[in-house]
Amino acid sequence: MKTTISQNGKKYNVVLTGRIDTTTAAQFEQDMKPLMDIENGDITIDCADLEYTSSQGLRTFLTLQKKVMTHNGQLVLTNMQAQVKEVFDITGFSNIIKIV
Amino acid sequence: MRISKSFSARLSATILLVTSILFITAIMVVSYYSHKLIAEEAIKSASNVLYTTTIDINKTLDRVESTVNNMQWIIEEHLDDTTYLYHITTEIVASNEEIVGSTIAFIPEFFKGKHYFSPYSCNDENDSIIVKQLGNDKYNYFEMEWFDVPFKTKEPHWSNPYFDEGGGQVMMTTYSLPLTDKQGNIFAILTADISLEWLTQKISSLHPYENSFTFLLCKDGYYITGDQPNKAMKYDAETQNKTHNEYEQLGKRMIAGDSGTLQIGDYNAFAVYGPLYNGWSTAIISPYKDVFARLMRMNLIIIVVSSIGLFLLFFACFRTIRKLTQPITEFTVAALNMAKGNFQARLPKIHSQDEMLQLYNSFDYMQKSLTHYVQELRSTTKENERMESELNIARQIQLSMVPTNFPNNEKYDIHATLQPAREVGGDFYDFLVVDDVIFFVIGDVSGKGVPAALVMSITRAAFRFLGGLGLSIDKMIEKINGTLCTRNETNMFVTLFAGKIDLKTGLLSYCNAGHNPLIICHADGNAEYLHAKPNIAVGVFDGVPFNPEQIQLEKGSRLILYTDGVTEAEDRDKKQYGEQQLLDFAQNIEKNESAEELISSLMTDVKSFTKDAEQNDDITVLTITLKQE
Repeated sequence: MKTTISQNGKKYNVVLTGRIDTTTAAQFEQDMKPLMDIENGDITIDCADLEYTSSQGLRTFLTLQKKVMTHNGQLVLTNMQAQVKEVFDITGFSNIIKIV
Repeated sequence: MRISKSFSARLSATILLVTSILFITAIMVVSYYSHKLIAEEAIKSASNVLYTTTIDINKTLDRVESTVNNMQWIIEEHLDDTTYLYHITTEIVASNEEIVGSTIAFIPEFFKGKHYFSPYSCNDENDSIIVKQLGNDKYNYFEMEWFDVPFKTKEPHWSNPYFDEGGGQVMMTTYSLPLTDKQGNIFAILTADISLEWLTQKISSLHPYENSFTFLLCKDGYYITGDQPNKAMKYDAETQNKTHNEYEQLGKRMIAGDSGTLQIGDYNAFAVYGPLYNGWSTAIISPYKDVFARLMRMNLIIIVVSSIGLFLLFFACFRTIRKLTQPITEFTVAALNMAKGNFQARLPKIHSQDEMLQLYNSFDYMQKSLTHYVQELRSTTKENERMESELNIARQIQLSMVPTNFPNNEKYDIHATLQPAREVGGDFYDFLVVDDVIFFVIGDVSGKGVPAALVMSITRAAFRFLGGLGLSIDKMIEKINGTLCTRNETNMFVTLFAGKIDLKTGLLSYCNAGHNPLIICHADGNAEYLHAKPNIAVGVFDGVPFNPEQIQLEKGSRLILYTDGVTEAEDRDKKQYGEQQLLDFAQNIEKNESAEELISSLMTDVKSFTKDAEQNDDITVLTITLKQE
């Protein structure tokens, strides 16, 4: 599991690589911490290389979504693989997080 | 511990070896130079002895000559008084203790009618001086060397040694002085005899070394005297003829009147030689064996003393090093004791301020650290054990929260299993039957472990409570959602699938809140996923609506509900069991299989897929069979 964050003004690009599972979920949450308190942030997370996410990973996505909403920002997940998208669909997260 | 292998023994042996090498080298060097020096000194000292003695003998000879020479004119003045001539010879013998006899041998007919005339004085046995007239027909002195040679050469002469039968009756040598008249004609020979006993004594006293021997040679090589000439011959034999040439050479040089030093044999002996005043020559031969005897003795003493010294050094080193390294032995014992778990093992007391003290400090530090660490480990272990036992209790409690009494009657058959990945988990199931209606739920809290378990217990309690109120499924879930969303700081959420079956009509009302789709196994054995309208998981947003759905079930159909722990069960290669494999399993269920058997065979199927891979998520399965009447 690897998280790369690059910033360009208020635009944040995040690239996720690997699996978010029992062993990496805590680290993923830690990696996302800096993005939680940005005002008017425009965050794009590239999920092209994200292979799997557990429910704990979903919880972090949910937390991030809620924080972004509180801070009047935007969160978009892009290029999501089918099996990951399915998890978002089943749990209904596709309805609250913007996935393109 | 074997002494021969101990540290102290090895170190001592090394010191001993090095010291021995140094000692031996030093002794060899000292011995070499001493040898050289002593050889030089020996020659010098022998030369000195020879020189001194030569001077001594020369003086004596000179005195003898002087005594004789001084009488010359007295004789010339008293030629008319033949009686006085006896007085003169007596005077000569008396005046000089080395002179044992003296005569004035006149030529024939110097005094008319006297063919032989030679007044003679000599010491007798009682040391008194007797006088007589020496010459007669039996003692024809004209033919004797002491008369003949100086008479012919007209020079003073020292005779070869001879045994004087007519005169002194001893081995002697004679100094002859020719007396001449005014015309230069010899009219008499004045002599003084010297006993060779005296010279022998003198020569014999020259003993620079125990086995040195000394000898005198006269001009023509005649052996005059020397102490124990047989010694020389004996010595000759010892050196096995090697020395013949050197002796010959020595003789030649001595006769030639040279002085110097000559090495004899292969460093067997050396000779110092030098001429005497009267043309004789004397030599001292000293064997090197004697010269170096003292050096050898000294070397022997040094070697013995050194050996004893080295021996003592070895023991002193051995004892000192053993004493110094004794703490190491004790440290070893202490370390072994510590290895056995005795952290209070006694350490040796160190009084010195050296490496041993550093070792002690390290040891002491290690001991204290280990003690501390083990104590900490013990308390941590205790703490872990306590937590483990608490978690075990929690597991019991959690497992007791889900129903384990499964009804199996003529209308329905329910069975379920819950296998947390850790001690406690976030999966749960529940069901209750109220008046021919079966309420059921299966859920999965995000995450695992204690946090998930806490949320699970809230959810399950809410379901229990709400199930009895006769609410519709969607309302029930909305209420559970409301409960979970209250103060949900950590954004924990639950996916759940809840439903109720009216046993009279076979109508299934259900709502899927972000959970996996259930499988319906129809009475004809065909199985399929029931894809419900997606609803968001419970606990995410308060107040969101949940869409209820309905489906009619025929008798003999089964419902299989599960959590993602089943479909996402992984083998060692991270390959997942998957929805397709689960559906395949469902397709092949025996018609008369009980709910319990179904779950058991599903668990076996999953297990045979994951093999020895570790279970990474809670696994929960709930199955309900509507029996055919």
